[in-house]
Amino acid sequence: MSFLAPLFLLGAAAVALPVIFHLIRRTTREHTPFSSLMFLFPTPPRLTKRSRLEHFLLLALRCLVLCLLALGFARPFFKTEANLPPPSKARRLILLVDQSASMRRANLWSDARDRVRAIVRQTTPADQVAVLLFDRQLTPLVSFDQWNSAPASERAALIEAKLAQTGPGWASTRLDAALIQAAETMADAGGKSVGASGEIVLISDLQEGSRLERLQGYEWPRQVRLRVEALKLKHTSNASIQPVDEAPGGNPSTEGIRVRVSNTSDSKLEQFKVGWAAPDRPGFAGAPLDVYVPPGQSRVLSVPLIPGQPMLNRVLLHGDEDDFDNVAFTLPLEQTRLQVLYLGNDSAVDPKQPLYFLKRSLQETSRQVVELHAPPLTAPLATADIHSASLIVVTDPLSEESAQALRAQVLAGKTCLCLAKNESISGTLAKLVGVGQFPTSEARLMKYAMLGEIDFRNSIFAPFADPRFSDFTKIHFWKYRRLEVDSIPQARVLAKFDSGDPAVVEIPVGAGRILVLASGWQPEDSQLALSTKFVPLVYSILESSGAPLAVPTLYHVGDTVPLGVEAGEGARWTVTSPAGNQEPIPAGQTNYSNTLAPGIYGLTSGQTSRRFAVNLEATESRTTPFAVEEFERLGVPLASQASALPATEKGKSRLQNSELENRQKLWRWIILFAVGVVLAETWLAGRAARTAGSFAVASNSGSGGAS
Amino acid sequence: MNPSALSASRVADFLRRAIAPAKRAVPGSGETTPSAGKPGPAVSSASLRLTGTGFVDPQALMSIRNLELRARVVVEGFWTGIHRSPFHGFSAEFTEYRQYTAGDDPRYLDWRVFARSDRYFIKKFEDETNLRCYLLADTSKSMTYSSTGYSKREYAATLAATLAYFLYLQGDAVGLLTFDEQTRDYLPARHRTGHLRNLMLALDKPSAGQGTTVGAPFKRLAEIVRKRSLVVAISDFLAPLDRFTSDLTTLAACGHELVVFQVMDPAELNFEFEQPTVFQDLESGRSLFIDPRFARKEYQRRLELHCAALRTACQRLGVAFHQLSTKQPLELALFDFLRKRMQRRRHILRASSARGSPAPSA
Repeated sequence: MSFLAPLFLLGAAAVALPVIFHLIRRTTREHTPFSSLMFLFPTPPRLTKRSRLEHFLLLALRCLVLCLLALGFARPFFKTEANLPPPSKARRLILLVDQSASMRRANLWSDARDRVRAIVRQTTPADQVAVLLFDRQLTPLVSFDQWNSAPASERAALIEAKLAQTGPGWASTRLDAALIQAAETMADAGGKSVGASGEIVLISDLQEGSRLERLQGYEWPRQVRLRVEALKLKHTSNASIQPVDEAPGGNPSTEGIRVRVSNTSDSKLEQFKVGWAAPDRPGFAGAPLDVYVPPGQSRVLSVPLIPGQPMLNRVLLHGDEDDFDNVAFTLPLEQTRLQVLYLGNDSAVDPKQPLYFLKRSLQETSRQVVELHAPPLTAPLATADIHSASLIVVTDPLSEESAQALRAQVLAGKTCLCLAKNESISGTLAKLVGVGQFPTSEARLMKYAMLGEIDFRNSIFAPFADPRFSDFTKIHFWKYRRLEVDSIPQARVLAKFDSGDPAVVEIPVGAGRILVLASGWQPEDSQLALSTKFVPLVYSILESSGAPLAVPTLYHVGDTVPLGVEAGEGARWTVTSPAGNQEPIPAGQTNYSNTLAPGIYGLTSGQTSRRFAVNLEATESRTTPFAVEEFERLGVPLASQASALPATEKGKSRLQNSELENRQKLWRWIILFAVGVVLAETWLAGRAARTAGSFAVASNSGSGGAS
Repeated sequence: MNPSALSASRVADFLRRAIAPAKRAVPGSGETTPSAGKPGPAVSSASLRLTGTGFVDPQALMSIRNLELRARVVVEGFWTGIHRSPFHGFSAEFTEYRQYTAGDDPRYLDWRVFARSDRYFIKKFEDETNLRCYLLADTSKSMTYSSTGYSKREYAATLAATLAYFLYLQGDAVGLLTFDEQTRDYLPARHRTGHLRNLMLALDKPSAGQGTTVGAPFKRLAEIVRKRSLVVAISDFLAPLDRFTSDLTTLAACGHELVVFQVMDPAELNFEFEQPTVFQDLESGRSLFIDPRFARKEYQRRLELHCAALRTACQRLGVAFHQLSTKQPLELALFDFLRKRMQRRRHILRASSARGSPAPSA
């Protein structure tokens, strides 16, 4: 029999204690009242010739308990050939390496590579290793298959070579998604069937800006453990800068741009400088501002524009120890100008007419200006007016010439919105659509009609697809015209009334389209203009007509940027990265997602061009490391340090013994047996005490009677 | 003479011899007349178990619950032991005259009788007919110890009741003062109807206090009682004696006759315990683990020193000291009491006759 902790056997020497206590025991706890103790002194416990060992069984039981306890704590195990564990099982390791923006600090990335190198060196040929890089998303570097297919002697070099080609990026840290994907990869790789233990080794700086929320609801696989190799820096003072909002466009503001300066909680620095970056040299373009930000707090301040230098778009922060997040990119917002042509006999000041409501829904904002042009119908319609308009709204019948001119523009790609205020519009509709007749009739309603069926997949109603906004039943229609669109095969009904009659119809005409509303939005016809859905509906129609609405210019690294409708047929978008590289966008692609680095990006399509700024996510600047115990709190079991393979033979032998003992667990049976012995001793001692007590009473009363 | 070794008949013989010389020593005394006190109703000694010496077994005596009855049994038993002869109290001798004959000392002529009868009579030595006796009874917790089936308290109460009954029969006034760590009950010396009953009730009260103070009751009594009295203290005196001597001296200096009874349990005297056990003090509650085999010798030595100190203090002040074991029949205690008093009075009478002056009142 061998022992894992043989020093505890020395505790068996305590077996002498019960012997001593047994000899000097006081056999009774009974009390004898006596008149006065003034002539008596207490009798100390003494060992004399008359002391003798009684109750041998009781003494033996007490000694046995002590011996069993010493034996149990010594953790015995049997070390026979049959019991020797099989050679170390193959392990399955996933090295999860952080390559987020925070890893750009100091020597973190080189430390991470060193850790990977050390772990790979400790693996055995039977082990399987995969290396995954993660920041905002997970990127496999070396898979299990690649590892297994490579010769054992070349595996480390393979990983080293792959790592040398990579480096930390600029994205934020989605640690929860990375761990979940790694755990699923491990589980899917069949860890159970191979009999190997699975371990994910996380190599990261554990900055507290890392996302961990998804781990709360995730059920971690049982056979997978997480080992954390935390990367630490000596210096911990980091401050960051982010733009708060977009610079006002149009009129230059003397207030400047607002930025937020944040200081980490473990920072030892508090004084910083903020200012515009010079375009052609390092440093500030003008006098920087002094900012005081205590550790763990942030400050918002306004950086005034420098007169004569309106093109500055970088704000610098100086004064901390890590500069990866010390630049904020910002662009002035470009205000777009749109024109809407209104063809009708309405008065703009008449609240009973559609023009009144349309004009008030198209308000000027900091991002756009929509000009509503309503020429009299008596004058001939100028082609230039139609051409410059992004949307043409027709509410009254047009002359033949105007209808034809309008149709020509629609065929060229314009969108025309026809409001069927009355049946007289049918003739104009027929001319615009290019059919002989476009029958319309006044519908008869009991009380009112509602929109009953809406196609939310269409771009006009797509903004209302969310269940919070998709309820149109509160909008009542008092009147509408029944549109006979069955004879027009290309017509698409986008919305129907509850009676089944078409409410909104889209008719493609050439490159453009005709949108027909069966009812007016003025109060006489419906409650549409008075509802909260009217303005977004108008803007939705305006946007779907190809009008270049205001586009945001501030994004974060990794965000997807919408491109918008390409300007002109045949034109394609081209993206210019901050480094100056031009990347053509394939046709049909409406988004750009290669925002991998912070800076100013350019979008060009024909004559249309715009820019947008990409910055680091603010969470990546929260570089204070969080506690490893946070993983356990989220239900991710951590692997003990002992799971790492020992480097020396002695360590391997100790580990082997530990595994043997852990499997046999003899100490449990020993402790159980000791508990049984204690119970027996307690019962026997009670019986002996009762016997001794009754004998003492009998002898004392006998001695009293004899005197 | 060890009274415990005497039989009842021998006690009676001794008493007769003891009583006669005392009476001859009194000048002018004549034959005694029968005592005015009548003996109590005879209690059949057959109903009680007698010891081998013919006295009532204390175990059987204590089985009588009524204290007054117990006292009567003891007194009756005492009288039975002296052949039922009426026994006139030691303390009182009735006044008697005899005619003057030539040669008598004319100093003892009673001129009052001459004034009334115009005849000459010699006045008999006039003893104090109304003796006052105060019983000091210890009622502390240490007196409740018992190894014989009845406690020292019961034994002491019976002894006090016996003395009170005996003296009451003699026509003497008896008072009581009970004490533990302080004075409890006080009954002035009276000889009235119902007073004996009250005294018995006071003796029967359960212990109220915890500790014992051996000197304070003497001092207290000295403050209360102005007239010379017989003071009988009954206690185990298991307390420090640091103030005992001074308080006893105070009482003795007031002219009182003092008798001390130390009542001890046989287990206290012999400490014949065998098994080691935890002894608990009845008064203080303190506990000690004692192995009697190793503690007995030292205990007895210290107890003997304590009792010797007590005895010495009493002897120096001329106080009669009696140590009683609760195993002793109470008749013997009564005998001891009376014998000592007789010896004292004989001494006093001899001293007064040598000076040629009337013997002082007892």
